[in-house]
Amino acid sequence: MLDQLGNGLLLGIIISVASVALSLLYGVTRIVNFAHGEIIALGAIATLFFSSPLDYRVLFLDKFSPLGLNFVISCILAVLVCGLFGGLLEVFLFRPLRKNDVGNIAVLVVTIGLSILVRHLYLLFATGKVQNFPLELQRRQTYLFFDMTPRNLNVLIIGIIVMIIFGLLLTYTRLGKAMRAVRDSGELSSVSGINSDNIILITWISSSMLAGLAGIFQATINDVRWNMGFLILLLIFAGTVLGGIGTSFGAMVGGLLIGIMVQVSVGLPFMEGHTEAKNAVALGIMILILLFRPQGIFGKKERIS
Amino acid sequence: MTSAKISFRLIFSLFVTAFSIYLVFLLNPDGAPRILLNLLTFAGIYGLSAIGLNVHFGWTGLLNFGHASFMGVGAYVTLLLMPHAAGREGEVTTTGLPFFAALILGIGAAALFGLLLGLPAIRLRGDYLAIVTIAAAEIFRLLVRDLESITGGVYGIINYTDNFQKYRPLFIDNFSENLGFSPSQAWVCLAAWVSIFITVLLLKRLSDSPWGRALRAVREDEDAVRAMGKNAVWLKLQSFMLGAGIAGLSGVLLAFNYGSLETTVFIPLLTFYVWAIMILGGVGTITGPIFGSIIFWVIISETDRLAYLLFENANGQQLAGVRFLLVGVLIMFLMIFRPSGLLGKKEELLLDVK
Repeated sequence: MLDQLGNGLLLGIIISVASVALSLLYGVTRIVNFAHGEIIALGAIATLFFSSPLDYRVLFLDKFSPLGLNFVISCILAVLVCGLFGGLLEVFLFRPLRKNDVGNIAVLVVTIGLSILVRHLYLLFATGKVQNFPLELQRRQTYLFFDMTPRNLNVLIIGIIVMIIFGLLLTYTRLGKAMRAVRDSGELSSVSGINSDNIILITWISSSMLAGLAGIFQATINDVRWNMGFLILLLIFAGTVLGGIGTSFGAMVGGLLIGIMVQVSVGLPFMEGHTEAKNAVALGIMILILLFRPQGIFGKKERIS
Repeated sequence: MTSAKISFRLIFSLFVTAFSIYLVFLLNPDGAPRILLNLLTFAGIYGLSAIGLNVHFGWTGLLNFGHASFMGVGAYVTLLLMPHAAGREGEVTTTGLPFFAALILGIGAAALFGLLLGLPAIRLRGDYLAIVTIAAAEIFRLLVRDLESITGGVYGIINYTDNFQKYRPLFIDNFSENLGFSPSQAWVCLAAWVSIFITVLLLKRLSDSPWGRALRAVREDEDAVRAMGKNAVWLKLQSFMLGAGIAGLSGVLLAFNYGSLETTVFIPLLTFYVWAIMILGGVGTITGPIFGSIIFWVIISETDRLAYLLFENANGQQLAGVRFLLVGVLIMFLMIFRPSGLLGKKEELLLDVK
């Protein structure tokens, strides 16, 4: 079971970063964003596009050639692209919907449509093939009591650092305070002179950048697939719900726990030969949490029925 | 809403539907009857499923995103109770119930699964229910895929169509031969549209009954329903069971249309297809999904041809992706610009979480 702990931590950090992003967006805008997975995939696909060697022609029906940039620069550019994408979505899609008083459920259905649209654009653009970043293979090493490659250890460390920085920004900066104010009450915060439109725009951008980073993590640890975002989306929901919807700290811990539980459950005796069902374990936990402790581990009690 | 306005919409919907069928003939000079049969079969099956979803969402306001699992439960229970072959080796089961007994048990199982999935609905608000239902549907699919010894897992179930095709009347064979149809698909198509007819008649009766009015009252104001002494929880569960049973029937028909059944059929995209059809036809209506389904499938099947012309380098998976892409666009645009669809009434829409 312990040999799965390393894998669990790695899956956990992906889900954790993505859950924080989802939770932040839900907290501020009350949008359950089913297109979140597609922003994650954008991070990975954009990185692939920026970093792959020039003769690597698999993108968009063999018509485009990648840029062949340095990998770290590619990652930074990809995160910026994700932020831009999130900002454009807010300005051209979700802000007009909000101004027209479109209800939450209608917006939820819109995000589902958006997710299907964007995901299949990726299928057209990035093909249905499983692809990898242009990085050399590495051998696994043992750190403390878990095994992973040095690169994946870096991913884990970067993920934890990013989340700590993000948590500090949210707690101590003016902007973070404004975000939390809008989350708690949009009307009261606008009375106090906070421009909630700007705050929501910044929330979309930062949430999308975090999601893009999660996508880069996922693609570094595993691979790039056109539907990678949708495959992990339900686990992200599970992480968010487990920690408590709308709480950033809860989403961090919940995401890590879900990742570890999914991977460790592979080693359980009754799961032998049933590795495909590992995601079902996480989803089952999520449903039980929603039924019996809907506010999650760290959430505040709130009427959700 | 005056009745004149409603009948205008009905005529308009009929016109659009007829026009889209005409379009099939126009775009396919050769083989139009065969394409049309395929299209109408899928339209019938998905339309039936959308009618079931409308009981959940349109009537009762329950945000169900696990509809594919109801179809799956109906299909798997029915097929596994009949003689079939399943699994990697194609292990044959020769004993089993006759078709109609298995069908009734399959629909019953789907309704029971609806009851089970409805239990969270008692406690959860709209968007949370959406997450729970989609997760439960995925759990169902993963378990079916994993329990290979019973369900055939990824290898699926085969050799079950005879259970149903042996009831095929002779006139279908004669009729199909003249038009160049597959007689077995023509039989599934007929069964689907007869099922729709019966379901619509049943739902019309229920909709006008005190029970139907109470369901819609749950959608509008649950507290008021409670104050009137009705059991809102039980009403929600009944709605879940009724819609799930209808979906179960459509799942069985889908299985007979495919001829072999795998778990990949019941991915979340199936649910989103049904959602698109329901929204297109009209949320809260009874007959809306029928029109929605035909128009939807005409769009889908003609997109494939368009995609083939536009992207000559694309492989089969990518070409199929173009139709899904269009489904996404359709869902978004309908939800933004015409959430009440072709036939729906704006006042009957529940799109806000209170």
